[in-house]
Amino acid sequence: MNKTLVAAAILATAGAAAHAELATYAIDPTHTFVTFEANHFGTSTLRGRFDKKEGSVTLDKAAKSGKAEITIDAGSVDTGVAPLDTHLKSKDFFNAEQFATAKFTANKFAFNGDKVSEVAGTLTLLGKTQPVTLKATNFNCYMSPMLKREVCGGDFETTIARSAYGMSFGIADWGLPDNIRLLIQIEAIKQ
Amino acid sequence: MQLLKTLGLGLVALACSVAASAAPQRFALDPENTHVHWELKHFGTSTLRGRFDTINGSITLDREAHSGSASISIDTASLSTGTRIFDGVVRGPQLLATSEHPSAYFVASRFTFEGERLVSVAGEFTLRGNSRPLTLKAMRFACRNDTATDPTTAREVCGGDFEAEFNRSDFGITHSLPFVGDAVRLVVQIEGVRQ
Repeated sequence: MNKTLVAAAILATAGAAAHAELATYAIDPTHTFVTFEANHFGTSTLRGRFDKKEGSVTLDKAAKSGKAEITIDAGSVDTGVAPLDTHLKSKDFFNAEQFATAKFTANKFAFNGDKVSEVAGTLTLLGKTQPVTLKATNFNCYMSPMLKREVCGGDFETTIARSAYGMSFGIADWGLPDNIRLLIQIEAIKQ
Repeated sequence: MQLLKTLGLGLVALACSVAASAAPQRFALDPENTHVHWELKHFGTSTLRGRFDTINGSITLDREAHSGSASISIDTASLSTGTRIFDGVVRGPQLLATSEHPSAYFVASRFTFEGERLVSVAGEFTLRGNSRPLTLKAMRFACRNDTATDPTTAREVCGGDFEAEFNRSDFGITHSLPFVGDAVRLVVQIEGVRQ
């Protein structure tokens, strides 16, 4: 009787151990970018990206859970047009002097099979925090021949209303868009 | 005689009206709102993005005759990926070889309209000294009267978003295949100011 209980306890522990595959991944900044898209006067789409960021992701592929914390340097905005970058960094938009970083924190990971399909959390921008859900359009893990380590990553998308963060410049007066589409490339290296 | 005169005037008037409605209009590219972005798959996992920042050229558009032409040159060294070390690698001899091939070109004269809407622009794309046919699909296209900056100098601006796909191996760019994909998606933002 005792023997059976002990055996069951060992099995349960072993099972739990097998199902907990928590691993930490550090963001690869050379393959992690947030690109934003904004409609330009109904004519074309303006794109920009943030060049400086850092963060880490923990992923438990067996338990199908995870956590992410990514910090983006607001002053690293880069559209390829210097005067526009200066305007975007100003108080009209990112106010980078006062709010140096934007932060994405998430702890609700949804999976489709063994692939991450959705990551829900919050985005803090201009000091205001709002819920945001990133939808995966690609997700994969591979063994990097250069790093000799596992790399997991993919492409994610979401659309935010910038006015919800108090970034309302030009929406009423100029017809600039409120809704901004975010395209996120992310790759993270297993630690 | 009077009849001939009237007929003659009529013909002249007709010729004028045809010329007026079929006159192609020239647009100069607005460099602040013209960018060529490219996307490639990295290890089948995520999408690498980059862009070319210096683009020159002009477009003629005949919205009555539903025709047009485009002549665009791209400064290949103006590429920007957001990672300086990659910029150097992509400029290097194994990829775009920008010192040997400082410009890429898109020259097109086949504009296709559906009703009043421009739907595609077909022409020839030259990259790394190799020329291949390429069709840009219009995802959106619109014209507006740009009074935002200065109402007294309001000018018509036409532009849109275009997309195209090609295999980089067709242009002799095979470095780092297959880890970085062969298929390149071009996402082109373009706006031109009427001259």
